[in-house]
Amino acid sequence: MKKVLQLALGIIAAIGGFVDIGELVFNAQAGAFFRYRLLWAVVVGVIGIVVFAEMTGRVAAVSGRPVFDTVRMRMGLTVGLVTLIASLVINLITLAAEVGGVAVVLNLLFDLNQSTLILLAVMGLVVIVYFVPFDGIERIFGYMGCALLVYVVAAVHLRPEWHQVAQGVVPSWHPSALYAYFVVGVIGAALVPYEVYFYSSGAIEDSWGVKDLNLNRANAALGFSLGGILSIALIMVSAEVFAPAQIDPGFLGTTALGAQRAFGETGLLLALLGMLFAVGGAAVECAFSGAYTLAQFAGWEWGKYRRPREAPRFTLAWMIFFALAFVVVETGVDPVLLTEYAVIFSVVALPLTYLPVLLMASDRTFMGDHVNGVLGNVIGWAFFVVILVVSLAAIPLMIITQGGSG
Amino acid sequence: MAIPTGPMDLVYRVLDDQLVDVEGQRCGRADDIEFDGGLGERPLLHAILSGSGTWHRRLPRPLRSVGARVFGTGLVGADVIQVPWDEVDDIGSVIRLKARARDLGLGQGDRRRAETVARLPDS
Repeated sequence: MKKVLQLALGIIAAIGGFVDIGELVFNAQAGAFFRYRLLWAVVVGVIGIVVFAEMTGRVAAVSGRPVFDTVRMRMGLTVGLVTLIASLVINLITLAAEVGGVAVVLNLLFDLNQSTLILLAVMGLVVIVYFVPFDGIERIFGYMGCALLVYVVAAVHLRPEWHQVAQGVVPSWHPSALYAYFVVGVIGAALVPYEVYFYSSGAIEDSWGVKDLNLNRANAALGFSLGGILSIALIMVSAEVFAPAQIDPGFLGTTALGAQRAFGETGLLLALLGMLFAVGGAAVECAFSGAYTLAQFAGWEWGKYRRPREAPRFTLAWMIFFALAFVVVETGVDPVLLTEYAVIFSVVALPLTYLPVLLMASDRTFMGDHVNGVLGNVIGWAFFVVILVVSLAAIPLMIITQGGSG
Repeated sequence: MAIPTGPMDLVYRVLDDQLVDVEGQRCGRADDIEFDGGLGERPLLHAILSGSGTWHRRLPRPLRSVGARVFGTGLVGADVIQVPWDEVDDIGSVIRLKARARDLGLGQGDRRRAETVARLPDS
């Protein structure tokens, strides 16, 4: 019974923790611009994150190696260093976007000065991360983020054209660079690397071993898949509310109005509450991921399960990440713009972290009987090709479409 | 898993792996490997080198001077620590050492920052 409860709680946390500012921005815009025609890209992205997360969780549980451990071991120092620098920069941009997102939502709820709210957001997150244990952090943000399920109910309530929804899930093509850009963005938003760094390091934090492989499979498959339903719901609500009025939901507050259209003020409040915790949780994951990558690459002691003075450089690293993000957001840069850059550059760096994990998961010396099977390898390598194509297309498409604006 | 007794691929099993001391503390990585022996002699594995000071030697040649400036020049005892091969206890999911990090000179960065972090509440 305890195992079932642990499984259920983990899945709920994964659902609530799936959505971050990248999903809120790209999915809402995808629905507004292309209605249901990009739903299949969400499905591709979700399959990718399930495959990637399951492998990283299994590698961590069996060999005790989180992602950046495998990056260093399999890619060597030079490529590893390039991956580290790229990951740190992307993590910082993403963290700044998430912190900016939290401040925007707080601004909508409390109507205070934006600058003050950014400071409050950062201080609040730092205090929670410092004092609350690891599983508590996962659960607080994961459970409260489930308020975003209001979008799932709203998507059904708004009576979508279900045959169009079904058609949207089938991969299709639309001859425009903007469409291709949003394909990359929607897949990339589901596949952001920090989620995987956090997931695999979390497996070590939670002392996962071989006995936890079923938990890993369930968390990765069910948690991320059900989380993907939130992404689909965001597109559907946007397709029903914003597309007919030709509104570009390029502001988080606009995205929240989709839930208001269905359920009035209650819908709006639930959407904002869900956004606050989903984006706040993503900020915490980002800050931790930055510290994890740095500590794992250099071989420092790390982990929230250690007291701060037992893993001092790790502790200082996540605090410095928050401080740097605060500085970036205080410059007044638009969090939505930061999000778009973060997602697109994440996509570019994705193969560098995916490949070593795939190699390690296929290595019997380290994985023993839990090595990738034939099916696992076929799916793993097939997805590597998808990731490679998407990563090669990302920057040219961003330039051609001027960041999705033209 | 103990140290393999037969031939061992050092690059595959040792280089870049995590070092963990006898108390279970992560205390660096196997950033390089040092051999003893002159030309024509049988090389003997002498020590694992740990520390960012070794990194510039492993970077592509055009980046080495910049690497030395950023990561250190490889001064033994400062930015590089020699861990005698005799001190390796086990090579499994990590490289386990027989002694404490402090006694081997490893984990200095964490010890220095620990004084700062110890000032924080509930640290």
